Amino acid sequence: MSYTRRGFLKLTGAGVACLSLSQLGFDLTEARAYATSLKTKGAKEVITICPFCSVSCHIIAHVRDGKLISTEGDPDFPINEGALCAKGAALLSMSRNEHRIKKPLYRAPYSEKWEEKDWDWVLSKIARRVKDTRDKELIEKNDKGQTVNRLDSMFLLGTSHASNEECALIHQAMRGLGVVHMDHQARI
Amino acid sequence: MSKAFLIDTTRCTACRGCQLACKEWYELPANKTKQVGTHQNPPDLNANNYKLVRFNEHLDGETITWNFFPDQCRHCIEPPCQGAADTVEEGAVIKDEATGAVIFTDKMAQFSTEDLDYVRESCPYDIPRWDAKTKRPAKCVMCIDRVREGMLPACVLACPTGTMNFGERSEMLALAKERLAKVKKDHPNAMLADQEDVSVIYLLAEAPERYHTKAVAQAPARNTRKQLFASVRSSLTSVSKS
Amino acid sequence: MTNHWIDIKNADSILIIGSNAAEHHPVSFKWVLRAKDAGATVMHVDPKFSRTSARSDFHVPIRSGTDIAFMGGMINYVLENGRYYKDYVVDYTNASYIVSEGFEFNDGLFSGYDPKSRTYDQSSWKFDLDSKGVPKKDPSLKHPRCVFNLLKKHFSRYNIENVSSVTGVSKDNLQKVYSTFSSTGTPDKAGTIMYALGWTQHTVGVQNIRSAAILQLLLGNIGVAGGGINALRGEPNVQGSTDHTLLYHIIPGYMAMPRADWQTYDAYNKANTPVSTDPHSANWWQHKPKYFTSLLKGWYGENATAKNGYCYGLLPKIEKGADHSYMFLFDRMYNNEITGGFIIGLNPMNSVPNSNKVRKALDNLDWLVTQELHHSETTDNWHRPGVDPKKVKTEVFLLPSAHRVEKEGTVTNSGRWLGWHDKAIEPEADARSFGAAFVPMMNEVRALYKEEGGKLPEAITLLNWPKTYNPEYWTRLINGQFTKDTVVKGTKYKKGQQVPSFTALSDDGSTMSLNWLYTGSYTEEGGNKAKRRNPQQTKMQANIGLYPNWAWCWPVNRRILYNRASVNADGMPLNPKKAVIKWDGKKWVGDVPDGGWKPLSSGKGKHPFIMSKHGHGQIFGPGRKDGPIPEHYEPVETPIDSHPFSKQLSSPVYKFVDSSMDKLAKPADPNFPIVLTTYSLTEHWCGGGETRNVPNLLEAEPQLYVEMSPELAEEKGIANGDGVIVESIRGKVEAIAMVTVRMRPLKVKGKTVHLVGMPFCFGWTTPGTGDSTNRLTPSVGDPNTTIPEYKASCVNIRKADKLTEIEM
Repeated sequence: MSYTRRGFLKLTGAGVACLSLSQLGFDLTEARAYATSLKTKGAKEVITICPFCSVSCHIIAHVRDGKLISTEGDPDFPINEGALCAKGAALLSMSRNEHRIKKPLYRAPYSEKWEEKDWDWVLSKIARRVKDTRDKELIEKNDKGQTVNRLDSMFLLGTSHASNEECALIHQAMRGLGVVHMDHQARI
Repeated sequence: MSKAFLIDTTRCTACRGCQLACKEWYELPANKTKQVGTHQNPPDLNANNYKLVRFNEHLDGETITWNFFPDQCRHCIEPPCQGAADTVEEGAVIKDEATGAVIFTDKMAQFSTEDLDYVRESCPYDIPRWDAKTKRPAKCVMCIDRVREGMLPACVLACPTGTMNFGERSEMLALAKERLAKVKKDHPNAMLADQEDVSVIYLLAEAPERYHTKAVAQAPARNTRKQLFASVRSSLTSVSKS
Repeated sequence: MTNHWIDIKNADSILIIGSNAAEHHPVSFKWVLRAKDAGATVMHVDPKFSRTSARSDFHVPIRSGTDIAFMGGMINYVLENGRYYKDYVVDYTNASYIVSEGFEFNDGLFSGYDPKSRTYDQSSWKFDLDSKGVPKKDPSLKHPRCVFNLLKKHFSRYNIENVSSVTGVSKDNLQKVYSTFSSTGTPDKAGTIMYALGWTQHTVGVQNIRSAAILQLLLGNIGVAGGGINALRGEPNVQGSTDHTLLYHIIPGYMAMPRADWQTYDAYNKANTPVSTDPHSANWWQHKPKYFTSLLKGWYGENATAKNGYCYGLLPKIEKGADHSYMFLFDRMYNNEITGGFIIGLNPMNSVPNSNKVRKALDNLDWLVTQELHHSETTDNWHRPGVDPKKVKTEVFLLPSAHRVEKEGTVTNSGRWLGWHDKAIEPEADARSFGAAFVPMMNEVRALYKEEGGKLPEAITLLNWPKTYNPEYWTRLINGQFTKDTVVKGTKYKKGQQVPSFTALSDDGSTMSLNWLYTGSYTEEGGNKAKRRNPQQTKMQANIGLYPNWAWCWPVNRRILYNRASVNADGMPLNPKKAVIKWDGKKWVGDVPDGGWKPLSSGKGKHPFIMSKHGHGQIFGPGRKDGPIPEHYEPVETPIDSHPFSKQLSSPVYKFVDSSMDKLAKPADPNFPIVLTTYSLTEHWCGGGETRNVPNLLEAEPQLYVEMSPELAEEKGIANGDGVIVESIRGKVEAIAMVTVRMRPLKVKGKTVHLVGMPFCFGWTTPGTGDSTNRLTPSVGDPNTTIPEYKASCVNIRKADKLTEIEM
């Protein structure tokens, strides 16, 4: 039976993990054909960074047709030299696990369920909550009459999962709103 | 020239990068496991884990030792499993000449439960497993797909500490010798497990049973290890030699 | 980290204390083992024998919460046995400074203590100054009030006997660690200290780290290759998120949060800019107004002018001494003082102490916005076990978050390396990055203010804020740009071009930068340096593993901080075999030096510790809230009711909150005789929100356990694998018993003390795995940081009749 490389890729790509060589027979030339059908061959390599501890191991993400097909340590990065621990090695299944939240969800007061919403709906609703809270509760002067422009009743918690860019913009936004209750993993 | 692994357990931190990297590369599904009082999980090799880090701890006086053993197929030089499988159907287990990788083929899906048990029992390290429903055979295949492309096996690439090493057999033997000499300074009983018979050589700092009951070849009761290898050697087919 | 990951390989001695590096920073062990291969001794001081201990030369079990006693014992050993590096101590530290009369230490309390407010008046913790305002010094170290002699006196109580009886560490083990590590107090040897949350999560956390700073300064281990104090930061970008400051008490670049008593821009600068009159002190923070002004220009753009104090007036101001950290936030929430807010990429319902209280507190919010990859105990708190959702008023928004591989941007590792990650794939379904959620959300708010007006609208409408989120736009702004055409050292820069270095930042409004520490990371000349992947290095750099062309590192690509302390007055390396920098007669070679001035012997040099006002390493550190020198205090919950160092049992200034749910066990409480320490594990992350949802990781560590010694298990009739109940005065938690010889009972003040350890990554949204360990831990915190005391509290343990949280 003949097997195209593409066909074999489909087989492995579907997550069939057994090393099915029976259809190839035990002829070693065909086993070699199997071996050349490396699942990452020809895939785009993208550099990403492990999202866990602060070693920040670099990882190569293999992408084909817009889909992540494999991740492994970047052997060129001088710190991890291709190595990864259990968590870093599990990046592929982390990004595609079935528990991911896919749409904005909304839980109304006293409700017993989540409802799916679109981004425009949730963002405008959130903006309204922020503004109403701020307009009602911003403290412009303290007891001593000093200007404090502080919104004590609103807070932000998180996150060391954010990039530097995201941290910078979130900090700026929060200070603009007058938020002072701001904290994240650095204090845990 | 065939390939070999050197697994230097004196460097292992049981980070389980290898265990997970293997699972991820072959996209093996997760087992539902439970905490039963040990960090070793899943408890044993199974159809979804070709690689398993075994944990064994000891208290000797006030000295604590915690041994880690990244268990996997040894890719025997003359694989008993191949001999056993051949008695059922020739070529069900093949050995890749270029790498020395021992590979179970789908022919084994036709095997009866007794046949499969026979193959498993022939393994002096108790490695082979199958998916009970599909009889899908499962064990380390030396990442032959990667190795043939000049890449390291997934577990070796992932290893941070130099526990997992892979290369030409001669290189690995030389490295093993060098590492052993160094380890012996602190651990006079250090050893290389079954180095002549296998392509996956473990460097152990102390007695093998302090790592895992099958860290070195365990012969079935009636046979010594040498006898075991001898008994299967005669049944090897010419396929692996071709 | 003062140094960086690869640099660990240069150490001759590695002390891992307050860290379980092999389990929580597994790849660090690549470099620990390289050092070991080259002959280094690796020591692990930790309550539990872990995977780190397994690969160390020796493990030293210690009672959790007694690290200052342990370190104080080592400082005493170093001083008594003359193991310190004398030239370094005299030249580069404040050991020779004369401390003013009036500073005192008596029976566990420093001068200035006010028991009513539980705070210190720190005004007596100061140095004698000469007529020019420079600290008086005695380089002979003989003056009875010089720092060196006060230190000696202070730690003389920390003899082996006292230390052993409090820490539970055997005298032999103490001698072994002290003698090994202090052997690095010579120019040709270096020792590194690797610590992590095992040191910060105590009511004396900051002083734990101070004890390391003092020891490393005495041994001359700061600024050198293979030395340093290396904080193994806990989370993925926690270095970056600290630098860019998702924290209440500072603003980006480690500048103080504006305070009510600093009403104007000028008042802020005056209060926060140190002045030194020593011509040899670089006193780097004298430049703060440039960094602060550039930050304000970044936030308010063209609207920030000299005339309006760069919009300083619009910013929120906190009250002096106010604490807006987690612990106090949740207490205020519990007391109905908080209306709503955001919790993103964080699971405080699992990871903040006293979970029973914080879970209840969250119910008091009117609205909550969350953004996560998965449902968590926080997003789904409103229907947690035992709660009727119909009675919970909170309106909850849960936004789907993009995963690391689905977004681009920079992160900063513990060694301060800035790395760029590309976007590999599009976000799953409707998921978005935090940036792609917050930028349009703020635009919605801005639009509402423009449309409707409201309170202080200009604080929001005047913000320099883009229409959409483009990560690299922000990377550029973080570096900083010129706001008008400028000439720097002969090079012309146009308005809008990138600022080349923080030395070009200005306080006249001509530059903007969202973080001065990152200026130089994205320049006209070098582009986005986080993307650099060039392994090129000189022989000298290669020798100690410096990669100056790979990525970029703050500040100014300096890989080893305080590196001017690694050379003598002539700029020659103290240890030529592992030189970090060297003066070649005309310029510095090797790493980027801590300031480019000529060596000290030229007369034009500067003291090496350029970030401290007087330029010397601070053995006496007057800036902390709990004393200028560390002192042993027991954890707030402790199995003993006295200790030999003083009558002051626990820290006199630790922080706490008070409510009916914030109970504390009394010292040596017979109902809670066992010390609990909590931790992460290799296979899960923090509160577990991400990793519990990755089936392959859950397979490896599926359920909550408690590690205990066989001796304790026997005492309690518990077998390995049994279901047990762990109980503190605040709550109880189900777990599986992991009976292990790796936990040893300790002898403390002559009696046996048991320790148990539990991870905190399991929660009810992953059914059958267990629920928050932090239901046990207390809301007490360090007086400087308010980091809670997760590492030492008191519990009891018993076999469970049945389990409801864990599937057996």
